[in-house]
Amino acid sequence: MVAHNDAQLKRSVAMREHLSRFHEYTLQLDVPGNVPADSLAMHPAFTDRSARMEAIIKLIREMTGVEQKLLHSRAQSRDGYMQKTYKYKWIIMMVAVVFLSSAFILLDREIRRNKRYGIDLERTIDNLNRSNSELEQFVYVASHDLQEPLRKIRSFSDRTISKYRNALPEDVYHMLSKIDESSRRMQLLIQDLLSFSRIVNKGTHPEGLDLNTALLQAQSNLSEMITEHGAIIESENLPAIQGYPSQMEQLFQNLLSNSVKYHKHGGKPQIKITYELVQGEVIPKIKPSHTDLHFHLIKVSDNGIGFRKEFAEKIFVIFQRLHDRNEFAGTGIGLAICKRIVSNHNGYIFADSPDGGGANFCIYLPA
Amino acid sequence: MNYRHILMADDDADDRFLVKAAFEDNEIPNPIVFFEDGERLLDYVSGQTEDLHPVLIFLDLNMPKRDGREVLQTLRNNRIWNTVPIIIFSTSNAPEDICAAYELGANCYIVKPSSYEGLKEVILNVQNFWLHTAALPR
Repeated sequence: MVAHNDAQLKRSVAMREHLSRFHEYTLQLDVPGNVPADSLAMHPAFTDRSARMEAIIKLIREMTGVEQKLLHSRAQSRDGYMQKTYKYKWIIMMVAVVFLSSAFILLDREIRRNKRYGIDLERTIDNLNRSNSELEQFVYVASHDLQEPLRKIRSFSDRTISKYRNALPEDVYHMLSKIDESSRRMQLLIQDLLSFSRIVNKGTHPEGLDLNTALLQAQSNLSEMITEHGAIIESENLPAIQGYPSQMEQLFQNLLSNSVKYHKHGGKPQIKITYELVQGEVIPKIKPSHTDLHFHLIKVSDNGIGFRKEFAEKIFVIFQRLHDRNEFAGTGIGLAICKRIVSNHNGYIFADSPDGGGANFCIYLPA
Repeated sequence: MNYRHILMADDDADDRFLVKAAFEDNEIPNPIVFFEDGERLLDYVSGQTEDLHPVLIFLDLNMPKRDGREVLQTLRNNRIWNTVPIIIFSTSNAPEDICAAYELGANCYIVKPSSYEGLKEVILNVQNFWLHTAALPR
Protein backbone atom coordinates (compact mmCIF):
# COMPACT_ATOMS: atom_id res chain seq x y z
CA MET A 1 0.00 0.00 0.00
CA VAL A 2 2.94 2.32 0.58
CA ALA A 3 5.34 0.92 -1.95
CA HIS A 4 4.81 3.82 -4.27
CA ASN A 5 5.44 6.54 -1.71
CA ASP A 6 8.98 7.04 -0.36
CA ALA A 7 7.93 9.13 2.67
CA GLN A 8 5.33 6.59 3.69
CA LEU A 9 7.83 3.81 3.12
CA LYS A 10 10.27 5.48 5.49
CA ARG A 11 7.53 5.93 8.03
CA SER A 12 6.51 2.32 7.75
CA VAL A 13 10.14 1.21 8.17
CA ALA A 14 10.36 3.43 11.27
CA MET A 15 7.09 2.02 12.51
CA ARG A 16 8.28 -1.54 12.03
CA GLU A 17 11.38 -0.61 14.04
CA HIS A 18 9.22 0.92 16.81
CA LEU A 19 6.93 -2.09 16.76
CA SER A 20 9.72 -4.61 17.09
CA ARG A 21 11.24 -2.65 19.97
CA PHE A 22 7.80 -2.38 21.54
CA HIS A 23 7.38 -6.11 21.17
CA GLU A 24 10.79 -6.74 22.72
CA TYR A 25 9.97 -4.53 25.68
CA THR A 26 6.66 -6.16 26.14
CA LEU A 27 8.30 -9.58 26.19
CA GLN A 28 10.86 -8.35 28.77
CA LEU A 29 8.18 -6.84 30.96
CA ASP A 30 5.87 -9.81 30.62
CA VAL A 31 8.32 -12.28 32.11
CA PRO A 32 7.10 -12.63 35.71
CA GLY A 33 9.64 -11.48 38.27
CA ASN A 34 11.81 -9.83 35.69
CA VAL A 35 10.58 -6.46 36.66
CA PRO A 36 9.32 -5.76 40.16
CA ALA A 37 5.78 -4.45 40.16
CA ASP A 38 6.56 -1.37 42.19
CA SER A 39 9.38 -0.17 40.04
CA LEU A 40 7.54 -0.85 36.83
CA ALA A 41 6.85 2.74 36.06
CA MET A 42 10.53 3.62 36.53
CA HIS A 43 11.89 0.77 34.45
CA PRO A 44 13.63 2.06 31.30
CA ALA A 45 11.91 -0.56 29.20
CA PHE A 46 8.57 0.60 30.36
CA THR A 47 9.20 4.29 29.72
CA ASP A 48 10.82 3.60 26.44
CA ARG A 49 7.93 1.40 25.49
CA SER A 50 5.53 4.20 26.25
CA ALA A 51 7.62 6.57 24.16
CA ARG A 52 7.59 4.04 21.34
CA MET A 53 3.90 3.69 21.72
CA GLU A 54 3.43 7.41 21.33
CA ALA A 55 5.76 7.47 18.37
CA ILE A 56 3.73 4.67 16.78
CA ILE A 57 0.51 6.51 17.39
CA LYS A 58 2.02 9.64 15.89
CA LEU A 59 3.31 7.72 12.94
CA ILE A 60 -0.06 6.09 12.39
CA ARG A 61 -1.73 9.45 12.56
CA GLU A 62 0.72 10.88 10.08
CA MET A 63 0.38 7.95 7.78
CA THR A 64 -3.41 8.00 8.02
CA GLY A 65 -3.32 11.71 7.32
CA VAL A 66 -1.13 11.22 4.28
CA GLU A 67 -3.20 8.29 3.06
CA GLN A 68 -6.41 10.20 3.56
CA LYS A 69 -4.98 13.12 1.66
CA LEU A 70 -3.93 10.71 -1.07
CA LEU A 71 -7.32 9.07 -1.04
CA HIS A 72 -8.95 12.42 -1.26
CA SER A 73 -6.81 13.57 -4.14
CA ARG A 74 -7.36 10.25 -5.86
CA ALA A 75 -11.09 10.50 -5.36
CA GLN A 76 -10.92 13.98 -6.81
CA SER A 77 -8.96 12.91 -9.81
CA ARG A 78 -11.31 9.98 -10.20
CA ASP A 79 -14.27 12.32 -10.15
CA GLY A 80 -12.58 14.56 -12.65
CA TYR A 81 -11.76 11.60 -14.80
CA MET A 82 -15.30 10.32 -14.59
CA GLN A 83 -16.58 13.69 -15.56
CA LYS A 84 -14.23 13.77 -18.47
CA THR A 85 -15.20 10.24 -19.46
CA TYR A 86 -18.78 11.28 -19.30
CA LYS A 87 -18.04 14.18 -21.62
CA TYR A 88 -16.08 11.96 -23.98
CA LYS A 89 -18.86 9.41 -23.92
CA TRP A 90 -21.26 12.06 -25.04
CA ILE A 91 -18.95 13.28 -27.74
CA ILE A 92 -18.35 9.77 -29.00
CA MET A 93 -22.05 9.09 -28.91
CA MET A 94 -22.81 12.27 -30.82
CA VAL A 95 -20.15 11.46 -33.37
CA ALA A 96 -21.55 7.96 -33.71
CA VAL A 97 -25.06 9.30 -34.12
CA VAL A 98 -23.94 11.78 -36.75
CA PHE A 99 -21.92 9.12 -38.51
CA LEU A 100 -24.71 6.58 -38.44
CA SER A 101 -27.36 9.01 -39.56
CA SER A 102 -25.24 10.30 -42.40
CA ALA A 103 -24.49 6.72 -43.39
CA PHE A 104 -28.20 6.02 -43.24
CA ILE A 105 -28.99 9.06 -45.38
CA LEU A 106 -26.34 8.12 -47.90
CA LEU A 107 -27.53 4.56 -48.00
CA ASP A 108 -31.11 5.64 -48.35
CA ARG A 109 -30.16 7.98 -51.18
CA GLU A 110 -28.21 5.21 -52.85
CA ILE A 111 -31.11 2.79 -52.55
CA ARG A 112 -33.49 5.37 -53.91
CA ARG A 113 -31.17 6.09 -56.79
CA ASN A 114 -30.80 2.40 -57.41
CA LYS A 115 -34.54 1.96 -57.43
CA ARG A 116 -34.97 4.89 -59.80
CA TYR A 117 -32.23 3.46 -61.97
CA GLY A 118 -33.96 0.09 -61.95
CA ILE A 119 -37.24 1.67 -62.99
CA ASP A 120 -35.48 3.63 -65.73
CA LEU A 121 -33.78 0.49 -66.92
CA GLU A 122 -37.04 -1.42 -66.95
CA ARG A 123 -38.65 1.38 -68.92
CA THR A 124 -35.78 1.46 -71.37
CA ILE A 125 -35.94 -2.29 -71.84
CA ASP A 126 -39.69 -2.05 -72.35
CA ASN A 127 -39.23 0.69 -74.91
CA LEU A 128 -36.49 -1.23 -76.60
CA ASN A 129 -38.55 -4.42 -76.75
CA ARG A 130 -41.52 -2.53 -78.06
CA SER A 131 -39.58 -0.68 -80.70
CA ASN A 132 -37.86 -3.92 -81.59
CA SER A 133 -41.05 -5.86 -82.09
CA GLU A 134 -42.61 -2.88 -83.87
CA LEU A 135 -39.62 -2.76 -86.16
CA GLU A 136 -39.86 -6.47 -86.83
CA GLN A 137 -43.55 -6.16 -87.54
CA PHE A 138 -42.89 -3.14 -89.69
CA VAL A 139 -40.24 -4.86 -91.73
CA TYR A 140 -42.32 -8.00 -92.10
CA VAL A 141 -45.56 -6.27 -93.02
CA ALA A 142 -43.81 -3.71 -95.19
CA SER A 143 -41.91 -6.30 -97.10
CA HIS A 144 -45.01 -8.44 -97.55
CA ASP A 145 -47.32 -5.65 -98.55
CA LEU A 146 -44.69 -3.90 -100.63
CA GLN A 147 -44.15 -7.06 -102.61
CA GLU A 148 -47.77 -7.21 -103.76
CA PRO A 149 -47.94 -4.08 -105.98
CA LEU A 150 -44.43 -4.77 -107.19
CA ARG A 151 -45.41 -8.24 -108.32
CA LYS A 152 -48.28 -6.66 -110.25
CA ILE A 153 -46.02 -4.08 -111.88
CA ARG A 154 -43.67 -6.82 -113.01
CA SER A 155 -46.40 -9.21 -114.05
CA PHE A 156 -48.25 -6.67 -116.17
CA SER A 157 -45.20 -5.13 -117.79
CA ASP A 158 -43.95 -8.64 -118.38
CA ARG A 159 -47.22 -9.73 -119.95
CA THR A 160 -47.39 -6.59 -122.07
CA ILE A 161 -43.93 -7.34 -123.41
CA SER A 162 -44.59 -11.00 -124.08
CA LYS A 163 -47.99 -10.44 -125.65
CA TYR A 164 -47.27 -7.35 -127.76
CA ARG A 165 -43.55 -7.83 -128.38
CA ASN A 166 -43.90 -7.55 -132.14
CA ALA A 167 -46.38 -4.69 -132.12
CA LEU A 168 -44.31 -2.52 -129.69
CA PRO A 169 -42.11 0.31 -131.01
CA GLU A 170 -38.50 -0.25 -130.02
CA ASP A 171 -38.34 2.62 -127.46
CA VAL A 172 -41.56 1.49 -125.72
CA TYR A 173 -40.13 -1.99 -125.48
CA HIS A 174 -36.93 -0.52 -124.05
CA MET A 175 -38.81 1.51 -121.43
CA LEU A 176 -40.98 -1.45 -120.44
CA SER A 177 -37.82 -3.51 -119.99
CA LYS A 178 -36.45 -0.80 -117.70
CA ILE A 179 -39.66 -0.93 -115.61
CA ASP A 180 -39.28 -4.69 -115.39
CA GLU A 181 -35.60 -4.49 -114.47
CA SER A 182 -36.13 -1.87 -111.76
CA SER A 183 -39.05 -3.67 -110.21
CA ARG A 184 -37.11 -6.91 -110.22
CA ARG A 185 -34.30 -5.16 -108.39
CA MET A 186 -36.73 -3.75 -105.85
CA GLN A 187 -38.15 -7.22 -105.37
CA LEU A 188 -34.68 -8.51 -104.58
CA LEU A 189 -34.15 -5.73 -102.06
CA ILE A 190 -37.45 -6.44 -100.33
CA GLN A 191 -36.79 -10.17 -100.24
CA ASP A 192 -33.37 -9.55 -98.75
CA LEU A 193 -34.87 -7.21 -96.19
CA LEU A 194 -37.36 -9.92 -95.32
CA SER A 195 -34.68 -12.56 -94.92
CA PHE A 196 -32.65 -10.13 -92.82
CA SER A 197 -35.64 -9.47 -90.57
CA ARG A 198 -36.25 -13.22 -90.19
CA ILE A 199 -32.89 -13.73 -88.47
CA VAL A 200 -34.18 -13.42 -84.95
CA ASN A 201 -33.91 -15.71 -81.98
CA LYS A 202 -37.52 -15.34 -80.96
CA GLY A 203 -39.09 -18.42 -79.44
CA THR A 204 -36.08 -20.69 -79.90
CA HIS A 205 -33.30 -21.63 -77.52
CA PRO A 206 -29.66 -22.04 -78.45
CA GLU A 207 -28.51 -25.63 -78.67
CA GLY A 208 -25.15 -27.35 -78.74
CA LEU A 209 -23.80 -27.38 -82.28
CA ASP A 210 -20.60 -28.37 -84.00
CA LEU A 211 -19.20 -25.59 -86.15
CA ASN A 212 -17.45 -28.16 -88.37
CA THR A 213 -20.87 -29.53 -89.30
CA ALA A 214 -22.21 -26.04 -90.01
CA LEU A 215 -19.20 -25.33 -92.22
CA LEU A 216 -19.58 -28.62 -94.12
CA GLN A 217 -23.26 -27.94 -94.65
CA ALA A 218 -22.49 -24.44 -95.94
CA GLN A 219 -19.88 -25.87 -98.30
CA SER A 220 -22.32 -28.43 -99.64
CA ASN A 221 -24.95 -25.69 -100.18
CA LEU A 222 -22.36 -23.80 -102.21
CA SER A 223 -20.88 -26.82 -103.95
CA GLU A 224 -21.91 -25.62 -107.39
CA MET A 225 -20.30 -22.21 -106.94
CA ILE A 226 -17.18 -23.74 -105.37
CA THR A 227 -16.70 -26.20 -108.22
CA GLU A 228 -17.37 -23.55 -110.85
CA HIS A 229 -14.62 -21.28 -109.55
CA GLY A 230 -12.29 -24.09 -108.49
CA ALA A 231 -12.23 -22.69 -104.94
CA ILE A 232 -9.98 -24.37 -102.38
CA ILE A 233 -11.25 -24.32 -98.82
CA GLU A 234 -9.10 -25.46 -95.91
CA SER A 235 -10.27 -25.49 -92.34
CA GLU A 236 -8.75 -26.26 -88.98
CA ASN A 237 -10.81 -28.25 -86.51
CA LEU A 238 -13.52 -25.92 -85.20
CA PRO A 239 -15.07 -26.01 -81.72
CA ALA A 240 -18.60 -26.81 -80.67
CA ILE A 241 -20.67 -23.89 -79.37
CA GLN A 242 -24.11 -23.08 -78.01
CA GLY A 243 -26.07 -21.43 -80.79
CA TYR A 244 -28.55 -21.63 -83.62
CA PRO A 245 -27.43 -24.21 -86.21
CA SER A 246 -29.25 -22.73 -89.21
CA GLN A 247 -27.83 -19.29 -88.46
CA MET A 248 -24.28 -20.60 -88.15
CA GLU A 249 -24.67 -22.46 -91.40
CA GLN A 250 -25.85 -19.25 -93.04
CA LEU A 251 -22.94 -17.32 -91.53
CA PHE A 252 -20.40 -19.67 -93.11
CA GLN A 253 -22.35 -19.79 -96.33
CA ASN A 254 -22.40 -16.00 -96.67
CA LEU A 255 -18.71 -15.64 -95.79
CA LEU A 256 -17.61 -18.40 -98.17
CA SER A 257 -19.75 -17.18 -101.04
CA ASN A 258 -18.49 -13.67 -100.38
CA SER A 259 -14.89 -14.86 -100.61
CA VAL A 260 -15.55 -16.86 -103.76
CA LYS A 261 -17.49 -14.03 -105.36
CA TYR A 262 -14.81 -11.38 -104.80
CA HIS A 263 -11.87 -13.49 -106.00
CA LYS A 264 -9.04 -11.93 -107.97
CA HIS A 265 -9.59 -11.93 -111.69
CA GLY A 266 -7.87 -14.90 -113.26
CA GLY A 267 -6.96 -16.48 -109.91
CA LYS A 268 -8.53 -19.34 -108.01
CA PRO A 269 -10.17 -18.46 -104.71
CA GLN A 270 -8.34 -19.89 -101.70
CA ILE A 271 -10.04 -19.74 -98.35
CA LYS A 272 -8.41 -20.64 -95.03
CA ILE A 273 -10.37 -21.04 -91.83
CA THR A 274 -8.33 -21.03 -88.63
CA TYR A 275 -9.33 -21.36 -85.03
CA GLU A 276 -7.90 -20.34 -81.67
CA LEU A 277 -9.21 -19.67 -78.19
CA VAL A 278 -8.57 -16.10 -77.01
CA GLN A 279 -9.14 -13.92 -73.95
CA GLY A 280 -11.87 -11.29 -74.36
CA GLU A 281 -9.52 -8.35 -73.78
CA VAL A 282 -7.83 -8.81 -77.18
CA ILE A 283 -11.08 -7.98 -78.98
CA PRO A 284 -11.25 -4.36 -80.14
CA LYS A 285 -14.23 -2.32 -78.88
CA ILE A 286 -15.36 -5.17 -76.61
CA LYS A 287 -18.05 -4.49 -74.03
CA PRO A 288 -16.36 -4.00 -70.63
CA SER A 289 -18.36 -6.86 -69.13
CA HIS A 290 -16.96 -9.27 -71.73
CA THR A 291 -13.25 -8.70 -71.14
CA ASP A 292 -12.89 -11.57 -68.67
CA LEU A 293 -14.60 -14.13 -70.89
CA HIS A 294 -12.95 -16.52 -73.32
CA PHE A 295 -13.83 -16.34 -76.98
CA HIS A 296 -13.52 -18.71 -79.93
CA LEU A 297 -11.75 -16.80 -82.67
CA ILE A 298 -12.65 -18.15 -86.09
CA LYS A 299 -10.77 -16.45 -88.86
CA VAL A 300 -11.84 -16.74 -92.47
CA SER A 301 -9.11 -15.48 -94.80
CA ASP A 302 -9.17 -15.36 -98.58
CA ASN A 303 -6.89 -14.30 -101.39
CA GLY A 304 -9.54 -12.17 -103.12
CA ILE A 305 -9.61 -8.55 -104.14
CA GLY A 306 -9.98 -7.31 -100.55
CA PHE A 307 -11.20 -3.80 -99.82
CA ARG A 308 -9.89 -0.41 -98.78
CA LYS A 309 -9.32 0.01 -95.04
CA GLU A 310 -11.87 2.77 -94.62
CA PHE A 311 -14.65 0.37 -95.64
CA ALA A 312 -13.89 -2.17 -92.90
CA GLU A 313 -17.03 -1.23 -90.98
CA LYS A 314 -19.18 -0.09 -93.85
CA ILE A 315 -19.26 -3.51 -95.48
CA PHE A 316 -21.41 -4.83 -92.63
CA VAL A 317 -24.12 -2.21 -93.13
CA ILE A 318 -27.28 -3.42 -94.85
CA PHE A 319 -27.43 -2.67 -98.59
CA GLN A 320 -23.98 -1.10 -98.57
CA ARG A 321 -22.01 -2.04 -101.63
CA LEU A 322 -18.43 -1.23 -102.53
CA HIS A 323 -18.68 -2.10 -106.21
CA ASP A 324 -20.71 -1.21 -109.19
CA ARG A 325 -23.72 -3.43 -109.80
CA ASN A 326 -22.42 -4.30 -113.27
CA GLU A 327 -19.14 -5.47 -111.76
CA PHE A 328 -20.57 -7.64 -108.99
CA ALA A 329 -24.25 -8.53 -108.66
CA GLY A 330 -26.11 -8.52 -105.36
CA THR A 331 -27.90 -6.16 -103.02
CA GLY A 332 -25.34 -5.95 -100.23
CA ILE A 333 -27.16 -8.00 -97.63
CA GLY A 334 -24.76 -10.92 -97.13
CA LEU A 335 -22.34 -9.43 -94.63
CA ALA A 336 -25.13 -7.51 -92.86
CA ILE A 337 -26.74 -10.88 -92.20
CA CYS A 338 -23.39 -12.22 -90.95
CA LYS A 339 -23.11 -9.34 -88.52
CA ARG A 340 -26.64 -9.91 -87.29
CA ILE A 341 -26.05 -13.62 -86.78
CA VAL A 342 -22.85 -12.99 -84.83
CA SER A 343 -24.61 -10.34 -82.70
CA ASN A 344 -27.42 -12.83 -82.06
CA HIS A 345 -24.74 -15.10 -80.57
CA ASN A 346 -23.30 -12.27 -78.43
CA GLY A 347 -20.16 -12.28 -80.52
CA TYR A 348 -18.15 -9.84 -82.60
CA ILE A 349 -17.17 -9.76 -86.24
CA PHE A 350 -14.47 -7.65 -87.85
CA ALA A 351 -13.07 -7.41 -91.30
CA ASP A 352 -9.67 -6.31 -92.43
CA SER A 353 -7.78 -6.36 -95.66
CA PRO A 354 -3.99 -6.55 -95.64
CA ASP A 355 -2.12 -4.44 -98.18
CA GLY A 356 -1.23 -7.42 -100.31
CA GLY A 357 -4.91 -8.08 -101.03
CA GLY A 358 -7.30 -10.62 -99.68
CA ALA A 359 -9.74 -10.18 -96.85
CA ASN A 360 -9.82 -11.54 -93.29
CA PHE A 361 -13.01 -11.95 -91.33
CA CYS A 362 -12.52 -12.45 -87.61
CA ILE A 363 -15.46 -13.90 -85.75
CA TYR A 364 -15.39 -13.98 -81.97
CA LEU A 365 -17.97 -16.23 -80.32
CA PRO A 366 -18.26 -16.61 -76.55
CA ALA A 367 -16.71 -19.88 -75.39
CA MET B 1 -56.59 -36.27 -120.03
CA ASN B 2 -58.95 -34.74 -117.53
CA TYR B 3 -61.31 -31.99 -118.65
CA ARG B 4 -63.10 -31.41 -115.38
CA HIS B 5 -63.13 -27.85 -114.11
CA ILE B 6 -60.71 -26.14 -111.76
CA LEU B 7 -61.74 -23.86 -108.87
CA MET B 8 -59.76 -20.89 -107.64
CA ALA B 9 -60.41 -18.57 -104.70
CA ASP B 10 -58.40 -15.35 -104.67
CA ASP B 11 -59.50 -11.93 -103.47
CA ASP B 12 -57.10 -10.16 -105.81
CA ALA B 13 -58.74 -9.33 -109.17
CA ASP B 14 -55.37 -8.81 -110.84
CA ASP B 15 -54.19 -12.22 -109.80
CA ARG B 16 -57.37 -13.80 -111.08
CA PHE B 17 -56.84 -11.99 -114.37
CA LEU B 18 -53.21 -13.07 -114.60
CA VAL B 19 -53.96 -16.72 -113.78
CA LYS B 20 -56.76 -16.71 -116.37
CA ALA B 21 -54.34 -15.21 -118.91
CA ALA B 22 -51.72 -17.81 -118.03
CA PHE B 23 -54.26 -20.61 -118.54
CA GLU B 24 -55.19 -19.15 -121.92
CA ASP B 25 -51.60 -18.58 -122.98
CA ASN B 26 -50.75 -22.17 -122.03
CA GLU B 27 -53.88 -23.33 -123.88
CA ILE B 28 -55.16 -25.40 -120.99
CA PRO B 29 -58.59 -26.70 -121.96
CA ASN B 30 -60.01 -27.18 -118.43
CA PRO B 31 -62.57 -24.50 -117.51
CA ILE B 32 -61.57 -22.46 -114.46
CA VAL B 33 -64.11 -20.97 -112.02
CA PHE B 34 -63.02 -18.01 -109.91
CA PHE B 35 -64.25 -16.91 -106.44
CA GLU B 36 -63.54 -13.62 -104.71
CA ASP B 37 -63.24 -15.17 -101.26
CA GLY B 38 -63.32 -18.44 -99.41
CA GLU B 39 -66.95 -18.15 -98.38
CA ARG B 40 -68.14 -17.98 -101.98
CA LEU B 41 -66.13 -21.05 -102.84
CA LEU B 42 -67.62 -22.95 -99.89
CA ASP B 43 -71.13 -21.81 -100.88
CA TYR B 44 -70.51 -23.10 -104.38
CA VAL B 45 -69.12 -26.37 -103.10
CA SER B 46 -72.04 -27.05 -100.75
CA GLY B 47 -74.49 -26.59 -103.65
CA GLN B 48 -72.69 -29.14 -105.83
CA THR B 49 -73.30 -32.83 -106.22
CA GLU B 50 -70.65 -35.49 -106.38
CA ASP B 51 -70.74 -35.76 -110.16
CA LEU B 52 -69.36 -32.26 -110.57
CA HIS B 53 -66.13 -32.78 -108.67
CA PRO B 54 -63.49 -30.27 -109.65
CA VAL B 55 -60.17 -31.72 -110.67
CA LEU B 56 -58.13 -29.17 -108.66
CA ILE B 57 -58.68 -26.32 -106.24
CA PHE B 58 -56.39 -23.28 -106.00
CA LEU B 59 -56.62 -21.42 -102.69
CA ASP B 60 -55.12 -18.10 -101.71
CA LEU B 61 -54.19 -17.96 -98.02
CA ASN B 62 -55.11 -14.42 -97.04
CA MET B 63 -58.65 -13.58 -98.05
CA PRO B 64 -61.48 -11.63 -96.42
CA LYS B 65 -64.37 -13.41 -94.64
CA ARG B 66 -62.97 -16.95 -94.71
CA ASP B 67 -59.32 -17.32 -95.46
CA GLY B 68 -57.56 -20.16 -97.20
CA ARG B 69 -56.79 -22.02 -93.98
CA GLU B 70 -60.45 -22.16 -92.95
CA VAL B 71 -61.56 -23.27 -96.41
CA LEU B 72 -58.83 -25.90 -96.43
CA GLN B 73 -59.94 -27.20 -93.06
CA THR B 74 -63.62 -27.25 -94.04
CA LEU B 75 -62.93 -29.10 -97.28
CA ARG B 76 -60.69 -31.64 -95.59
CA ASN B 77 -63.44 -32.40 -93.07
CA ASN B 78 -66.02 -32.85 -95.81
CA ARG B 79 -66.76 -36.49 -96.69
CA ILE B 80 -67.21 -35.80 -100.40
CA TRP B 81 -64.55 -33.15 -100.92
CA ASN B 82 -61.73 -34.45 -98.80
CA THR B 83 -60.01 -36.14 -101.73
CA VAL B 84 -59.84 -33.18 -104.14
CA PRO B 85 -56.24 -32.02 -104.57
CA ILE B 86 -55.80 -28.55 -103.12
CA ILE B 87 -52.98 -26.24 -104.15
CA ILE B 88 -52.21 -23.29 -101.90
CA PHE B 89 -51.28 -20.33 -104.06
CA SER B 90 -50.00 -17.50 -101.90
CA THR B 91 -47.55 -14.60 -101.90
CA SER B 92 -46.23 -15.67 -98.53
CA ASN B 93 -43.03 -17.68 -98.42
CA ALA B 94 -42.94 -17.66 -94.62
CA PRO B 95 -41.91 -21.11 -93.32
CA GLU B 96 -44.74 -21.13 -90.77
CA ASP B 97 -47.40 -20.51 -93.45
CA ILE B 98 -46.02 -23.30 -95.62
CA CYS B 99 -45.83 -25.71 -92.70
CA ALA B 100 -49.36 -24.88 -91.50
CA ALA B 101 -50.81 -25.41 -94.98
CA TYR B 102 -49.40 -28.92 -95.28
CA GLU B 103 -50.49 -29.73 -91.74
CA LEU B 104 -54.04 -28.76 -92.64
CA GLY B 105 -53.95 -31.15 -95.59
CA ALA B 106 -52.86 -29.11 -98.58
CA ASN B 107 -51.41 -31.22 -101.40
CA CYS B 108 -49.07 -28.57 -102.69
CA TYR B 109 -47.86 -25.09 -101.78
CA ILE B 110 -46.86 -22.65 -104.49
CA VAL B 111 -45.49 -19.17 -103.83
CA LYS B 112 -46.96 -16.80 -106.40
CA PRO B 113 -44.24 -16.10 -108.93
CA SER B 114 -43.04 -12.52 -109.16
CA SER B 115 -43.34 -12.18 -112.91
CA TYR B 116 -45.81 -13.15 -115.58
CA GLU B 117 -43.29 -15.40 -117.31
CA GLY B 118 -42.79 -17.16 -114.00
CA LEU B 119 -46.53 -17.54 -113.54
CA LYS B 120 -46.96 -18.99 -117.00
CA GLU B 121 -44.30 -21.56 -116.27
CA VAL B 122 -45.82 -22.47 -112.90
CA ILE B 123 -49.26 -22.97 -114.45
CA LEU B 124 -47.72 -25.13 -117.16
CA ASN B 125 -45.96 -27.21 -114.52
CA VAL B 126 -49.20 -27.59 -112.59
CA GLN B 127 -50.91 -28.80 -115.71
CA ASN B 128 -48.10 -31.23 -116.48
CA PHE B 129 -48.08 -32.71 -113.02
CA TRP B 130 -51.61 -32.53 -111.68
CA LEU B 131 -53.53 -32.94 -114.94
CA HIS B 132 -51.18 -35.12 -116.97
CA THR B 133 -48.95 -37.02 -114.57
CA ALA B 134 -50.75 -37.57 -111.29
CA ALA B 135 -53.48 -40.19 -110.94
CA LEU B 136 -56.46 -38.49 -109.30
CA PRO B 137 -59.53 -39.80 -107.49
CA ARG B 138 -62.66 -39.86 -109.53
